[in-house]
Amino acid sequence: MRTTTLTDERCHPVDFDDTPDEAAYRARVRAALAEHADELVHTDVDADAGEEAADPREQEQALRRTQRVLAEAGLVGVAWAAEHGGQGGSLAQQAIVGQELARARVPSLINHIGIGMCGPTVIAHGTPAQHEKYLARLLRADDVWCQLFSEPASGSDLAALRTTAVRDGEDWVVNGQKVWTTLAHVSDYGILLTRTDPDRPKHAGLTMFVVDMHAPGVTVRPLRQMGGQSDFNEVFLDDVRIPDAERLGEPGEGWRVALTTLLNERVAVGGGGNDLGLSVESLARLAADRLPALPADRQVLARQALGRAAVAALANRYTGYRRLTAISQGGLPGPEASAGKLAGTAAAKLVADAGVRLLGDDAVFAVGPGDDGGADGAGRWQRNQAWLPGIAIAGGTDEVLRNIVGERVLGLPPEPREDKHRPFDASGSAR
Amino acid sequence: MNFDLDQDQLDAAAGAERFFTGQAGPAQARAALEGGPLAPGRQALADIGFLGITVPEDAGGGGGSVLDLAVVAEQAGAVLAGPSLVTAARAAVLLADQPELAAALADGSRSFCVVDGDHPALDAVGADTFLALVDGDLVIGDGGVATGQPMDATRGLGVVTLTGTRVLVPDAGERWARARDVAVVALAAEDLGTAGKAVEVGVAYAKERQAFGRAIGSYQAVKHALVDAWVGVEQLRSLVWWAAWAADAAPGELPLAAASAGAFAAETLERAAETCIQVHGGTGFTWEHDAHLYWRRAKVDRLLLGDAAEHQDAVAGLVLAGALS
Repeated sequence: MRTTTLTDERCHPVDFDDTPDEAAYRARVRAALAEHADELVHTDVDADAGEEAADPREQEQALRRTQRVLAEAGLVGVAWAAEHGGQGGSLAQQAIVGQELARARVPSLINHIGIGMCGPTVIAHGTPAQHEKYLARLLRADDVWCQLFSEPASGSDLAALRTTAVRDGEDWVVNGQKVWTTLAHVSDYGILLTRTDPDRPKHAGLTMFVVDMHAPGVTVRPLRQMGGQSDFNEVFLDDVRIPDAERLGEPGEGWRVALTTLLNERVAVGGGGNDLGLSVESLARLAADRLPALPADRQVLARQALGRAAVAALANRYTGYRRLTAISQGGLPGPEASAGKLAGTAAAKLVADAGVRLLGDDAVFAVGPGDDGGADGAGRWQRNQAWLPGIAIAGGTDEVLRNIVGERVLGLPPEPREDKHRPFDASGSAR
Repeated sequence: MNFDLDQDQLDAAAGAERFFTGQAGPAQARAALEGGPLAPGRQALADIGFLGITVPEDAGGGGGSVLDLAVVAEQAGAVLAGPSLVTAARAAVLLADQPELAAALADGSRSFCVVDGDHPALDAVGADTFLALVDGDLVIGDGGVATGQPMDATRGLGVVTLTGTRVLVPDAGERWARARDVAVVALAAEDLGTAGKAVEVGVAYAKERQAFGRAIGSYQAVKHALVDAWVGVEQLRSLVWWAAWAADAAPGELPLAAASAGAFAAETLERAAETCIQVHGGTGFTWEHDAHLYWRRAKVDRLLLGDAAEHQDAVAGLVLAGALS
């Protein structure tokens, strides 16, 4: 159960500071962000935690412009190869850009799904023509991408999906429904996992495509979440024609292609030890503001909740540093990244709950009387609280992640899966 | 940025694992509980150099860092070794400008115990030299040790009554605080090793034991409990390494890092040890099985040098004072 591996390069002492090269790179990034500050969207810190823009359409355009400016400054796709439109830089440099964007309060890139998941999948499994057509535009947010995997009847059991693609001349004709598709409502392209051979066992009959989200037969309907905002969509696919040239990988190889996406997803979500939801720093500010006003006996409990949440967040953060170190030394992101999302979710819930409890009686209101809901007010802690249950489910439920860690890291045997080796149409999954 | 052990530390961990294998383990911890000696024992730990890892080289020690000590302490924890490296790490800080005494710590010619008032002191049983903070001064002297029936005999716990003390370092409050933080880190490092071993033992059994026609580790109820315990161990490892690194490289971060590691260690080891018992079912709570030896260590260590609530409160105080801004 060792988590470390020996390589010849591992001869450096622990050091959280930049190397001289990294420091010089950071200075260049910081200067570029300052130079372009007027052209970038800036946000309140932690704007991702369930916040919603007043005018989503205007926000979308502003975020696309922001990513384009950053791409032109060489700050998007930092670790992607130059032949794919990237900068050919290191993962350490990519992490530095992420830190500097956060410091400058630039929100998450609009095309984060494309950069984190779709792009790496196209790079790994696409043709040179697909690389040429998509990757540079993806980095500039000329095209925004989404990932069309989950379906109403197949979430954790993704390989049981029912959306079909049937060959028709030079095209494939797709019918079915996807759900929980982040960004579909603003996307230009998606990677789409379909069933092309229902007579084979469920993992063996899948094929991946790039789908044009503006093609006839694609209908996107936003889903409203429990917190009121809409991050996700339903996507209906009715006789959508996809040219065979837009296939990603061979027919029947879709599961292997999807694993590339999912692995990158778990690194992107929590793999680096970044806080999910409102950060522990936000909690610290709220606590400094609110805790001294609580009655003395409540302060004791609030301090314990604050301490517990901070410890969990720090444990997750420093575990992320270990994972980033391993990746920057050439290690591939492994199943350990699933542990990062598990721990990150647990820490985020502790931070969120400590924050809500600090609100005292205000916590019974989503936004209370005399509270504008902004800054560190009640509204954002309530939105954060309502956003977190989804984080324990999206991108791999806690239960699926525990299975992955248990089986792939600890080597525990899987549960029997009766449908795994039967033809999909004959298995229970198809009904 | 680089947050991983270096090659020397990996070699040291591997060397420590080899040394401890056969010298100590659950069988020796069980024997200690039934009145036997500590294993490997003070002299063996001194001879291999582990009591002097952080003692300066000119005082006969290894001149190493707290992180160097932590990687060895993890291996000590995995075999429930005694006496602790916690006391060695703490005494080395307290004796920083006392080369003769530090040399006696490193070579095992004196048996040190560090005393926190009337709290039960670690490694008190058999100690001949006691260190304490009295009226802000670091004092040294003899002591009488009152012991109860031990929960975990490898910890050598006893309540100490100091006798014949003299002031070693006046006005030593800051040094005392740093030594205590370093001790919390060393304790967390030993707990990391114990917790990792408890999970390993539980996982091995879950692969082997059959129920309802298949290995119990295939059931999600069992698998997920082990995964949660393992994730805790890996998260604890990060806090231990951070805190141990901070002790030398970023002393300003040490109070936050040490309290974080201490709080997380207490709860992580407890969960790992309890999960180990639960996974073993009926055999898990017998005297014959080793599981209770890890559990005993967990139930004792979670109360040493401050419990989780005390550490969490310290973290909260530091955060409220701006430690994260």
